[in-house]
Amino acid sequence: MLENYLPVLIFMCVGLITGLVMILLGGFILAPRKPNAEKNSPYECGFEAFEDARLKFDIRYYLVAILFIIFDLEIAFLFPWAIVLEDIGIFGITAMGIFLGILVIGFIYEWKKGALEWE
Amino acid sequence: MSFTEIVFYAFSAIMVVAALGVISARNPVHSALSLVLTFFATAAIWMLLEAEFLAITLVLVYVGAVMVLFLFVVMMLDINITQMRAGFMRFLPFGILVALILAVQMILVVGPANFGLDVAGFASPVEHAADYSNTKELGRVLYTDYVFPFEIAAVILLVAIVAAISLTMRRRPQTKYQTPGKQVMVKKEDRLRIIKMQTEEKQ
Repeated sequence: MLENYLPVLIFMCVGLITGLVMILLGGFILAPRKPNAEKNSPYECGFEAFEDARLKFDIRYYLVAILFIIFDLEIAFLFPWAIVLEDIGIFGITAMGIFLGILVIGFIYEWKKGALEWE
Repeated sequence: MSFTEIVFYAFSAIMVVAALGVISARNPVHSALSLVLTFFATAAIWMLLEAEFLAITLVLVYVGAVMVLFLFVVMMLDINITQMRAGFMRFLPFGILVALILAVQMILVVGPANFGLDVAGFASPVEHAADYSNTKELGRVLYTDYVFPFEIAAVILLVAIVAAISLTMRRRPQTKYQTPGKQVMVKKEDRLRIIKMQTEEKQ
């Protein structure tokens, strides 16, 4: 079975080598590197950087992202089910029906609660 | 050493180095990216165990969704790194102790002896044929033999939905937003008023 994944491994190696060669060749070997204090300092519209780039603010996208992960997991359960649907028959369809039914309750809850509203 | 073993040790080495990077990187963003690399290496090792569906799910769910969320949160928070590293040496012995206990417990529980395997002559399982589908095997048992845990998984996901909404949902009455439906429904008479008035004399 693993021999089917040999092309994937070769592809990963080629990708890794290509990336490393590009970074090394472009950044360290071919390009001139003459850094000084001014070049290395962070640039912020011509004046001194006085603040950290990270600051607290309201992340409304967070809730949408969590809900996305939950439904992403639900989709992951659908793949093996779809492949063996002929073998497991009515019982399998009923099992997935209950599974999806429970999650549809959650979906209705989040919709009615307004979690999907962007305001 | 067979080719599979070389691949296994290569990915294991990447995984251990990346996992060390997660806990030792100064920048939390680097730490999160190391965790992504750890997940990738773990997926490769699962693939070597012929668990192809789990390996791809790990990449899809963890790397694709969970780690993006992690990175997103890490980039948004203002984490004071010096403050976080302050008690490092003081908590180090305690941390090592907890890690040791965890490792011993895991070895005791998931060791090969518990599954009736001979530790000394640890025979590797027979490799499957090229047309073997792990996803199919998983599907055959998951929706029939393990249907009850499968439905429990649905309930756990439902609890996660309800918990996420009730913990992080907040109404913000002060925010101003547009209602596109109302905007579209507006007629000329609602907005425009034509007033009759005398024209002024030419001077």
